Amino acid sequence: MSDLKIVLFMCNWNPHAAFQTLQDDCADLPPQVRMVRIPCTGRISKSLLLRAFEMGADGVALVGCEAGSCRYGSGTAVAERNVEDTRGILDLLGLGKQRLQWATFLPEQAEDLLNFLKNFYAEILTIGQSPVLPTSHRGSAAMTREAAMRLMTSHDVFACQDCGKCSSACPLSLAGKPFSPRAMANTIAGGDLESLSMHEDIWSCLTCGICYDRCPSAVDFPEFIRDLRKVQRAGGKTGREAHGGFFQSLMRTMTSPDLRIEHWKWLPKDIQTDSHSKVLFFGGCAPYFDTYFRHHLGIKTRDVLVDALRLLNFFDIFPALLQEERCCGHDLLWTGDEENFLKLAKLNVAAIQDLGIEEVVTACPECYRTLSKDYAELGLRFDFRVTHLFDLAEQEIDKGAIGFAPLHRNITFQDPCRLARLNCASPVDASLPRKLIQRLQPQAFVEMQDRGISSLCCGNCAWTGCDAYTKALQVKRLRQARETGSDLLVTACPKCQIHLKCAMEDLFLGSDLKMEMQDLTTILAQNIRWE
Amino acid sequence: MKAKSAPEKIGHFRREVLITGFGGQGIVLAGNILGRAASLGDHRESTLTQSYGPEARGGACSAQVIISDATIHYPYVRNPDIVVCMSQGGFDKFAPLLRQGGTLIIDQDLVQPGKIGSDQVFSVPATRFAEEMGRKMMANIVMLGFLTAVTESVTVQAALRTVEASVPKGTEQMNIKAFNKGYDFGLATLKGRRKKAAGVKGVK
Ligand code: SF4
Ligand code: SF4
Ligand code: SF4
Repeated sequence: MSDLKIVLFMCNWNPHAAFQTLQDDCADLPPQVRMVRIPCTGRISKSLLLRAFEMGADGVALVGCEAGSCRYGSGTAVAERNVEDTRGILDLLGLGKQRLQWATFLPEQAEDLLNFLKNFYAEILTIGQSPVLPTSHRGSAAMTREAAMRLMTSHDVFACQDCGKCSSACPLSLAGKPFSPRAMANTIAGGDLESLSMHEDIWSCLTCGICYDRCPSAVDFPEFIRDLRKVQRAGGKTGREAHGGFFQSLMRTMTSPDLRIEHWKWLPKDIQTDSHSKVLFFGGCAPYFDTYFRHHLGIKTRDVLVDALRLLNFFDIFPALLQEERCCGHDLLWTGDEENFLKLAKLNVAAIQDLGIEEVVTACPECYRTLSKDYAELGLRFDFRVTHLFDLAEQEIDKGAIGFAPLHRNITFQDPCRLARLNCASPVDASLPRKLIQRLQPQAFVEMQDRGISSLCCGNCAWTGCDAYTKALQVKRLRQARETGSDLLVTACPKCQIHLKCAMEDLFLGSDLKMEMQDLTTILAQNIRWE
Repeated sequence: MKAKSAPEKIGHFRREVLITGFGGQGIVLAGNILGRAASLGDHRESTLTQSYGPEARGGACSAQVIISDATIHYPYVRNPDIVVCMSQGGFDKFAPLLRQGGTLIIDQDLVQPGKIGSDQVFSVPATRFAEEMGRKMMANIVMLGFLTAVTESVTVQAALRTVEASVPKGTEQMNIKAFNKGYDFGLATLKGRRKKAAGVKGVK
């Protein structure tokens, strides 16, 4: 007998009655199928479906009621969408979408259900075991006072002068949340590590870095928070992960070395790449985001990768691509999961080194920060350099003979924190995208009230801590954007687009907040010309 | 040592270059570097003549360079293959000498070429680039970089080495940067023309 693991999520109502008939008849159900009885298939979110695979399932079947017979009305429709989206994700991961199936049965369809399960088992048997290795779950060591003090010392938090400049600039404090970096430092110094409010605060920080910019003692809160989270996670504590932890789950799934990821198989045919190139384009997770949010936000951040590649082609650069490209690990790192972050980092570095790459180009601010800074700081060794696409484009355009078709738009710009503040190494800082914007010669470019190094966060970082206060912050940000009188909000990070688009969906404020968004990469690609 | 990428056609190569502008722009130095790069770097024959007189005090002045694989018997330029104009006065006076099918290079912010329209007119904001780099005086070096890229008068290796050896001590790196700025701009200009000739405009 094979040791396949097949999870059957089965709705309590119609199909379970059929299943009971099979049990009563002692039907020869494949023993590898483990049934989990659930109240409604509509409640099995994408994160639960994926989590099963993260934990090592070889196949998952979601079995519910036919449309129209759902006891709760919309369960079936929701389940169908969730399955479709998650299958898209499995496809990108190279796991194969056949591993996840959806079916409906009436109570009297016991025979059909049996056939379905037998066929599904046979199909999984042909595909074979999943290459996913379940990641370890850490113990429950509470955060010790010593550990906290060590972090206070290593991040020099004791240098805090209690001036309050951080809290008066922190976007969360300003959004009305009972949250203050200064107070947090004081509380930890006072020895309170375990209280609920402390836990809430550690996982609420957006790691946006405004406080660090303002602090006269250079207390680097984002990095301090990152390490606090690491200690907390080791103690089994995590924050409120957005979307049920889907994205963390996705990243941990990618740590399995034997996955045959297919990151680029959707790429349009007209893009020219060269597997022997010494330049690699690192895309980032946009294809996963688009698949996940397909039915919700309808975002198309993947197009930014296409436009980035078109720009490179325009400059006669035909880069290599990494078919098995994995997430850079940014979000795991910033949610305290350094162990799995390092697994991703090592796999990426090894794959890039194998290709003999000399330069990695990326258009994603988080990938840029992570590859150019965190990989080396956390001990990875490699020979390639990392360049942000904007830097490369600016250099190429500056050589001359390149211009832009007139841009008849009034624009404003949302700075990504990872470019404007958290790299802070010229030429990649807040001035770089502005140089490019000036080159575009838009009809008007009006800055928002908070801009550049002081720019406001898009509302979320690393898919953790999304709540009513971060929503208030987003509303404030979008109002600032609207107040500029612009008709186009230019972004430079796929996540800024996702989170801000999400805030625009507000049913009550929607029309006050809606604004067209476009990534700067896309605008550059659409308008660039040889002169 | 012969530079590797020197044009091959031994015995056939001949370029007459006329560089013009007003006094103080370093016109003669540009001609001097060009000629020495050709002879000492690319191992060709070269001559330099220059016009003195009232021009040297701010009027149109010129440097005339001939580069050849064969012995040069007469050092004055009569039918220049290349005319470089860094002032309107220089353009008005010398551009008409350009031979049929020759290459005209102008500083785009200083010269209005009027009706002269040919595929072979190149313009470069050499003075502006030099200003942006902090020293207007380096416009001649930017121009030299541009000329090296768009004409095949001297090899880039020879030009760079001669620039380094000819400018005041301590300013070598700045001047090399200025040369490269002009050179890159020249390559980009050629590339842009190739792309447009092939019907490529934007990204697709
Ligand atoms: S990183 Fe941002 S959210 Fe976190 S404490 Fe500092 S300012 Fe507040
Ligand atoms: S800005 Fe710096 S010194 Fe001032 S309260 Fe905040 S952490 Fe302390
Ligand atoms: S703001 Fe971002 S994290 Fe929060 S629900 Fe929307 S998309 Fe998810």
